[in-house]
Amino acid sequence: MRWIGNLLVGVRTLFGGNRVEREMDAELDAFLEASAEAKRRAGMSPDQAARAARIEMGSANAVKHRIRSAGWETALQNLAQDLRYSLRMLAASPGFTLVAILSLALGIGANTAIFSLLDVIMLRSLPVADPGQLVLFGHGREVGSTNSLPNSSWDLFSYPFYRTFSQKNQVFSSATAIDSVEFSTHGSLAGQAPEVFHAVLVSGTYFSLLGVHPQLGRVLNQSDDQVAGSGAVAVASNSWWQRHGRDPAVLERPYRIEGTDYTIIGIAPPEFFGTTVGESPDLWIPLSMEKQISPGWNDLENKWFQSLYLIARLKPGVTVEQATANTNLLFKQILRSDYVGQSPSQKDLADISHAQIELTSAARGLSQLRARFSLPLKILTAIAGLVLLIACANLANLLLARGTARSREFAMRMAIGATRSRVIRQLLTESFVIALFGSAIGVACAWNASHLLLVTASSSPQVAAMHVEPNLHVLTFTVVLTVLTAFLFGLVPALRVTRLDLTGSLKQGRGIASPAAPVSLARALIVAQVALSLVLLAGASLFVRSLVNLIRVDTGFDRQNVLIFSLDEGAAQIPPDAHLVNTQQQIEDRVQAVPGVRADSFSCFAFNQGIWSNDISVQGVPSSPENSQDVLFNIVGKGFFATRRLPILTGRGFNATDRTDSPKVAVINETMARRFFPNSSPIGHRFGMGDDPSHSGDIEIIGVVKNAKYVALEESPQAAAYFPYSQHVEYLFNFEVRYSGDAAPVIQAVRRAVAEVNPNILINGIGTLTEQVEDSTSNLRLIARLSAFFGLLAAFLVCIGIYGLLSYAVARRTSEIGVRMALGARRSTVLWLILREILVLVAIGIAIGAPIALAGNRLVVRLLYGLSPADPVSLSAAIAMLIVIALIAGYLPARRASLIEPTTALRCE
Amino acid sequence: MGQKSGDMVQGTLEMLILKTLALEPMHGYGVALRIEQVSQGVFRVNPGSLLPALARMERSGRVKSEWRSTENNRRAKYYLLTAAGRRALRDETDSWGRQTAAIARILET
Repeated sequence: MRWIGNLLVGVRTLFGGNRVEREMDAELDAFLEASAEAKRRAGMSPDQAARAARIEMGSANAVKHRIRSAGWETALQNLAQDLRYSLRMLAASPGFTLVAILSLALGIGANTAIFSLLDVIMLRSLPVADPGQLVLFGHGREVGSTNSLPNSSWDLFSYPFYRTFSQKNQVFSSATAIDSVEFSTHGSLAGQAPEVFHAVLVSGTYFSLLGVHPQLGRVLNQSDDQVAGSGAVAVASNSWWQRHGRDPAVLERPYRIEGTDYTIIGIAPPEFFGTTVGESPDLWIPLSMEKQISPGWNDLENKWFQSLYLIARLKPGVTVEQATANTNLLFKQILRSDYVGQSPSQKDLADISHAQIELTSAARGLSQLRARFSLPLKILTAIAGLVLLIACANLANLLLARGTARSREFAMRMAIGATRSRVIRQLLTESFVIALFGSAIGVACAWNASHLLLVTASSSPQVAAMHVEPNLHVLTFTVVLTVLTAFLFGLVPALRVTRLDLTGSLKQGRGIASPAAPVSLARALIVAQVALSLVLLAGASLFVRSLVNLIRVDTGFDRQNVLIFSLDEGAAQIPPDAHLVNTQQQIEDRVQAVPGVRADSFSCFAFNQGIWSNDISVQGVPSSPENSQDVLFNIVGKGFFATRRLPILTGRGFNATDRTDSPKVAVINETMARRFFPNSSPIGHRFGMGDDPSHSGDIEIIGVVKNAKYVALEESPQAAAYFPYSQHVEYLFNFEVRYSGDAAPVIQAVRRAVAEVNPNILINGIGTLTEQVEDSTSNLRLIARLSAFFGLLAAFLVCIGIYGLLSYAVARRTSEIGVRMALGARRSTVLWLILREILVLVAIGIAIGAPIALAGNRLVVRLLYGLSPADPVSLSAAIAMLIVIALIAGYLPARRASLIEPTTALRCE
Repeated sequence: MGQKSGDMVQGTLEMLILKTLALEPMHGYGVALRIEQVSQGVFRVNPGSLLPALARMERSGRVKSEWRSTENNRRAKYYLLTAAGRRALRDETDSWGRQTAAIARILET
């Protein structure tokens, strides 16, 4: 109850105007009167008594001030007063305010944007019930399928294993299987044009395990996932529903995917994006439909077709350790009983003993992005942190200079009764106001910037669809950051400039400078800025030079003038047999006849589109540790090597004689030829897939082609083999065309040719080989661009800092310079006098920054290409740039100093 | 000024004010005078400390104030002890007693 009274009195004081003030005056008067009367009674004269009473009380204003501060409302009043005053002061010097707010906005904005990314990719929990109880089997690093016996930490599992495991385990309340591959294909709502969509195949337990409830209709259940081919239903995402006008009637209309009609049974809640961060599937379809969704790649009932991730929910009270022990026991039992048969070989037993399942937390979902971006994000966080530090140092410096210029004002305020803490509070309020404005602008920019970052980092449209808008996490982070920043740049200058010798400051005009305490602090701040900027610039020049090196790498093939059409042959429902081969040949032949087309070919992989690899056995070559590494495979048309301008070194390329029914052939690359046939020609030799020697005669080598890059520019030479698509029938997604001259008519002609062969084949997109190659460097490109941008920004801030410091120094030393010139100093001497000061500071900054830069660069060595972290060129470039910047920033004030007229300067005194 | 005021032990001012007001309601100067007289001049309470202390105590509900006429017909702000103030005085006196006794024991050994 008492606090209510306190509150009421406070409110009355705030809004009651003068009444409280009058009461206070009356009380003080009464006190003085009573005191004086007592003194009169003790024998003083009335004058003496009044005077003594007043002396005892001291400053009435000070007493009133202390009485006022007993109430909470005073703090509020002071704050309001400080805020008003701060805004006035900032408005009075718009140049300073603009620089301060903008540099902070950039610093805080950069940090917020990058933290939003960090949050969405690394930190945020899945929007499902009790995410903490979810565990993933393995690390979810592998994507695709594998058919080997588990022999290490295992990520991928088969459907039969999932079923057996869910029945027998005792530590999980439920488990779900999720296809490791997200499918992208075409579908159409009855009566509408086909659209591209992404689908994830999941077991019937998926939604119930996650505890996700539909906003409309129902979710998948066990009965949808019982019999292969019988569960033609799908749950749609909120964004898919939005694209179809949020029409509840979609639940009744059939959705046709590759010849099968599906019923949309429900709509997932808006916040649910599935279990993989960086993917945002449109549909969730039961695994029972695997064969219909993925005609070429499925085998649901085969225990060796291991392509699924497993996620399970721990029973209440079960620890991860208990669950791990139990899971692995069961894993090995199932491997023993179902995978190796009655009499396992020695190798099988060894494999099983090495096999294990590591349970990892699935609370934040699966993510390939997380592994890919973890180092880049750390680097970007460091860069953003450095930028903010530099901005703070810069701002502290500006405040210091400003504070020194305002020292008369502070001295005046303290002389008429303000305490030092009161002045400091006022100065800190100003800092907070600056930080607040900066952070508001920064957050507004970050809102868009983090999305832009994401798009720059990844060309995938699904990644672009991720929600990176700042949320509560991010805003908390920014608020904390803002407060810290304000203290960081505001506190030291506030302490410094209020440490005054009052009479000195009041008397001081411009004349001879007072002891230069703040100046040494300002110098230290410049040194710090130079050192931090050097770290940034040195890093940036390393990244940029690495990127240049990487882009100039010889890919083996000629990446110029190649168009890549991404085709969806599945949409045309061509059966994957001779019909498909025929269609592919017809397209190739028609396009070949188009004017301007030099060569064309289908291919399974263009560049950085994933890999298909296996170990092989070569007839007549015993297996050894060196040659048992996997070989990469690609499926191509007969025009592929001409399209890529990859020369055939010996033997021949593919031609029309390599038919479906003719002996199987392959063209291998130089590395594979050297690995298996170091001393002889490989032509005519035979090899087969896998380590089974009975298949080693399957495929004949007919040619050797020049090495090329397959997945990444920085990869070392890989052994690779090419097969003709006539002998490996498959839907091929890339159609590559080498052209000369203008691309636009070629694109039109290719579209026409494809439509003439089969109007149902859809063209999903058109790009170039150059783009694909450059997209593979997107990580480094992002870092190079951002670090260069922030490096230049930091350099610019250093520029401002140096200019500010020198201008101030010149203003203070005007009369000294005047004396020097009167005594015969030349203008060039004065110029040098000023510039020398700044060069010394820059030199110290470089001496401090260089070792830090070298140490820091060693942490990013994984992202560098063709450079050592101690690359002297990068460091020297950064140093040279800083020196040039310092000279530019210093020249103007130094020139102003050299133009001082001695007579004018001295007359100013 | 000729003030030879003894330094007040930290935090005891409020206790002394409470004790003084426990006898009868008083105005500010009255409190100061009473403390000076009873302590035989050892403690001289400056209005700069006394009035803010009274304001604080009023805010925390230990005293309340009202304007009354003084003995020589002037108006002054009188402070009265509340029930909470009485409780606080009792508590503080007890804990003060314990502390001084403890200090005395330490000094005697």
